[in-house]
Amino acid sequence: MANTVVAFQSAYRVSEPDLIARVLAGDRVAARDLYDAHSPRVYRLAFRLTGDADLAREFTQDTFVRAFGQLSRFRGDSALSTWLHRITVTVVANAMRKVKRFRERETDLEDVHPLGSDSMGVDPVLRERLHRAIDQLPEIYRTTVIMHDIEGYTHTEIAEVLGVAEGTCKSRLSQARAQLRVALADLAPELES
Amino acid sequence: MTEDRFEDLMRDAAQTYRKPPEPDFEAMWNVVSRETWGVTRPTRRSFNVPRGIGIAATLLLGIGIGRATVTFKAASPTTVPVATTPVAAHTDSIPEPAPYSAETSQYLGQTAALLIALPSEVKAGRANGQFLSRAGELLTRTRLLLDSPAANDPTMRNLLEDLELVLAQVVHLENNQNRTELDLINRALEQRDVIPRLRTAAADISAN
Repeated sequence: MANTVVAFQSAYRVSEPDLIARVLAGDRVAARDLYDAHSPRVYRLAFRLTGDADLAREFTQDTFVRAFGQLSRFRGDSALSTWLHRITVTVVANAMRKVKRFRERETDLEDVHPLGSDSMGVDPVLRERLHRAIDQLPEIYRTTVIMHDIEGYTHTEIAEVLGVAEGTCKSRLSQARAQLRVALADLAPELES
Repeated sequence: MTEDRFEDLMRDAAQTYRKPPEPDFEAMWNVVSRETWGVTRPTRRSFNVPRGIGIAATLLLGIGIGRATVTFKAASPTTVPVATTPVAAHTDSIPEPAPYSAETSQYLGQTAALLIALPSEVKAGRANGQFLSRAGELLTRTRLLLDSPAANDPTMRNLLEDLELVLAQVVHLENNQNRTELDLINRALEQRDVIPRLRTAAADISAN
């Protein structure tokens, strides 16, 4: 996350606090700069959490509409990216409670070709089983797994975004992984191969 | 299940689990902009004009605007002409009403002159109240033109929207502004190809 900010600042030689001040003063070019710098990762996070391109787009938009509307409340205690991702996770979580279809992926295991492995060396059945197992994790575990294992956030970043202690974050990840192992237990012989 | 095998699976998931498709960030920005400020921001061009080309375009624009302004002054009365012939039948391409063409041409020339002069005026410390007031007047005219038939043409509308953004920045310049302020304006001009597009628009209107 910090890399994004550094790259952004070095590219434009304008500090993020300056840009934020400009946005607050009504400068929409500065707002666009902030959007350009942060929207790809916000969108990616939204998509990973929802698995739906339309919803991810909608939630990314919601994130920025809320962020620009509440920017005056941003105190700078954390990085702007952390604040934005916190809004994203909140927007997605609130919507997911209403839209259950996120969790209902219709892919049937029988539809997945069971033979052979792809170029990554992972059997498609195993892959699909893991994906489904991640989908079925409780929300707090799933969010942690997605942010840490899928999107590469550090525990510190996740703790800031989710507003929990770093230890809590580590504990959630450990429990989530344990649940994933249980979910894949019946495929253990194949995993050993 | 071995730890290594599980880690392999998780690494694979990082590449394959809900792999995001590339969205249309520009369209998303338009929604954000509309819902936040009630306007739709234009597309930002992804390429930058090399500085040399920018300078050459600026010189050409200056010459072109100067010639167009002289021609315009010689040919146009000081009052807006009243149409004495019936308006042509509706066609696929709706012609821009003449009064707006005249107003737009004059506006483009004055805006180009101000934007071209901006760096030197700032450097010389002459971007004072009068200069900023002039930018404010042009900003008002930009918004009036955006609400007029002159903005029916999408290309012109995009240009006017970009000019609105740039002029709004100029208006917020202060007499003691630092270099960053000017850099931001120059960057906006460059990224949005404002000067070359002004030249093209002025030439198009002069040709008609």
